[in-house]
Amino acid sequence: MKTSKTSHTYCLLPDNMTKKVFLDTLKEHFIVKQIGFISENFSILETFDWEVYKNNLLAIRHEDHSISLWDEDNLFDIERAKKIDNIAARSKFWWDFPDCEATHTLKPLLKLRALHPIYSGVLKIEQINLQNNEGKILVFCQLMSICNPEHPRTPIMHQIKFTPVTGYAHENNQAVNLIKQLGGFEPSLTPLESLLGAIAVVPKPYTVKPQINIPVEIPARQAVSKIIATMIDKQRLTEPGIIKDIDTEFLHHYRVAIRMVRAAIAQLKEVFPSQDVITLKQRFGDLARETNRLRDLDVFILDQSRYITLVPEAMRDDLLPLFDNFQKSRQVEAKRISKWIASKTYTKEINQLESLFVHGYSATETLWSEKPSIELATTKITKTYKKIHKAALKIDHETPDAHIHKIRIDCKKLRYLLYFFGNQFDSKKIKTVSKHLKSLQDTLGIFNDLTVQGEFLTEYLDQFEHKDDINIRLIASLGGLISVLYLMQKQERKKSIKELAIFSNKANKKLFKETFINKEQGEHNE
Amino acid sequence: MKVIASYSIKGGVGKTAASVNLAYASAKAGNETLLIDLDPQGASSFYFRINVEKKAPKGYFFSKKNRLLKHIKGSNYKGLDILPANLSFRNIEIMLDSMKKSKHRLKDMLSSLKDEYDLIILDCPPNINLLSENVFSASDIILVPVIPTTLSERTYEQLLTFFKKNNYNKKIIHPFFSMAQSNNKLHHATINNLEKRYPEFLKSMIAFSVEIERMGLHREPVLAYASKKSNAQAYRALFNEILSLIKK
Repeated sequence: MKTSKTSHTYCLLPDNMTKKVFLDTLKEHFIVKQIGFISENFSILETFDWEVYKNNLLAIRHEDHSISLWDEDNLFDIERAKKIDNIAARSKFWWDFPDCEATHTLKPLLKLRALHPIYSGVLKIEQINLQNNEGKILVFCQLMSICNPEHPRTPIMHQIKFTPVTGYAHENNQAVNLIKQLGGFEPSLTPLESLLGAIAVVPKPYTVKPQINIPVEIPARQAVSKIIATMIDKQRLTEPGIIKDIDTEFLHHYRVAIRMVRAAIAQLKEVFPSQDVITLKQRFGDLARETNRLRDLDVFILDQSRYITLVPEAMRDDLLPLFDNFQKSRQVEAKRISKWIASKTYTKEINQLESLFVHGYSATETLWSEKPSIELATTKITKTYKKIHKAALKIDHETPDAHIHKIRIDCKKLRYLLYFFGNQFDSKKIKTVSKHLKSLQDTLGIFNDLTVQGEFLTEYLDQFEHKDDINIRLIASLGGLISVLYLMQKQERKKSIKELAIFSNKANKKLFKETFINKEQGEHNE
Repeated sequence: MKVIASYSIKGGVGKTAASVNLAYASAKAGNETLLIDLDPQGASSFYFRINVEKKAPKGYFFSKKNRLLKHIKGSNYKGLDILPANLSFRNIEIMLDSMKKSKHRLKDMLSSLKDEYDLIILDCPPNINLLSENVFSASDIILVPVIPTTLSERTYEQLLTFFKKNNYNKKIIHPFFSMAQSNNKLHHATINNLEKRYPEFLKSMIAFSVEIERMGLHREPVLAYASKKSNAQAYRALFNEILSLIKK
């Protein structure tokens, strides 16, 4: 039936209950037909941010490398699995998978993330029908166990799922009760949570956003230390993924986390002695710069199909050597970065930096270090906003690109400040402010990306200057691409100017004043 | 939701075999399917190993949806449910006769199931009476198995006459040849004759076969236990042909 959703009953079986005891008990009341048995090595697949789990899905890779995807209500139901067949063991991105229903489900969840194994074991699934004397099925049962590959006979998890047949609820209840009398119990968690719990896998969804709750009254230096420690922690969580080169998002988030650390140091510098600020900026800057080239290459390669469509059809194949070249360079660079992150030198450096902040930065007092964090937050946010507002008002069609880029950087600073201290202000207003800021930043971001990409390709072109062996068609298509990017950049510039005008309009100014300035005055007046 | 009735005035023409196999084919094709066994003899319930209900409360069949759903049984196959026959169906005529809108009660009852099923198949008893009229008004397709013999031809004509006389839509009638024997000359001649006279005959034909007779032993649709045999394939073809009619 369509509307009456089948209600499965899950029972976890006690460790000491053997399959024989369980079947013998059922046999006293039903004719037990064992109709199918699967035993195989399997892995649970996830993204680093646990997107599969967050969407109440479970993805597993089978021994033959195929992937099964289930929604939580139908875990391990072979007939209801969305399958991805005929794929190689190393395929892990949605674009590696064939066009099928499971791929369509996964695509928006995975985005640029890889599906990688987070747990491996042996999966055993046995289908059992409970029937009457006439051979009529009364209850469908599925016995599922997960074992450690080293001890395949001792299950870590042993579960039975009862699925009632329409019209035979009584028999279903009878079977469930028999198992409960043997010590089986219905877990209070959802099927997915109880599965992960039983195999001791704890979901740790990753997000690079800070999500820090800074109490308003704590000293500013302590607050900034907490922000930096949080971001270093987020940066470090990405390290294993970069070392294994699981997907490009690990490096991206590594860089975002460092960028936030650097922003915190630079923007909130007054809480540290000035000499320390110079050193810290240098040390974190060095970490970020080390990864610049790999990120540039990643960005290009990820967008390959889009770039190719930007040039006329006849020139598209001519661009392929460029991307082949980028791919090769990426392999070399990714290996280098992997080695670097795994190196003792890097580990020593990041450990040292981490230890500076983890228990609060220790140094001589500065003018700002002991003031309440809210004061620092309001001062910095209003100052940055005013700076953007003032600069935005002066923007017109003759403003040099460099000025627009400067405003973009200030917008980013403001956005980070809102990330860091957002919890100290009215949440509704912060949400609106952030929305406006994001819209502006998105446009400015595209404008910046186009500029950077144009520069990157121009630099690439420069290397041909002294070469004898020149591929004319590649150079021509490269020239074409640079021109298109330039035109697009000009278009985005127009949009950026428009967005800046919106951002600095009266309504927004009022909103900022209400959210931050009034608060500042209010606090001071109290 | 579409409703297909497997119907004939005459008994023993293969109505139940068609109902059971088409219901199975429909569920296999991914449709949520309900087979309603309207024949008090309960042959199609028997084929699905479900017993005829003896104690069901009187009148539940035309009662509210919730009461009706309680009597539906899941078959051994996913997506296929059965509303088993009930001994009280013997008196369904008397029951209908005493009801208002007595020719449309079945239609009302079935429309209450539209959120539950994609396809409902009615296995009808051999008769032409008030229940049959309910079937005619409730169905999108009346599938009529016709054995290529003179007697069956006669009953098919009687059905057409009844439709005409009572202003039912003749277009929903779709006969097909059932239990046809390839080595029987009379069958050949009747088929040729009927196909000329009645172009509405479906192209799919179910031949007489011992395999179909064995359904009683297996208590399963032929499609389930001998899916590769020609008869099973013939039912599959019949289902596909009906499906294309529904899609029209």
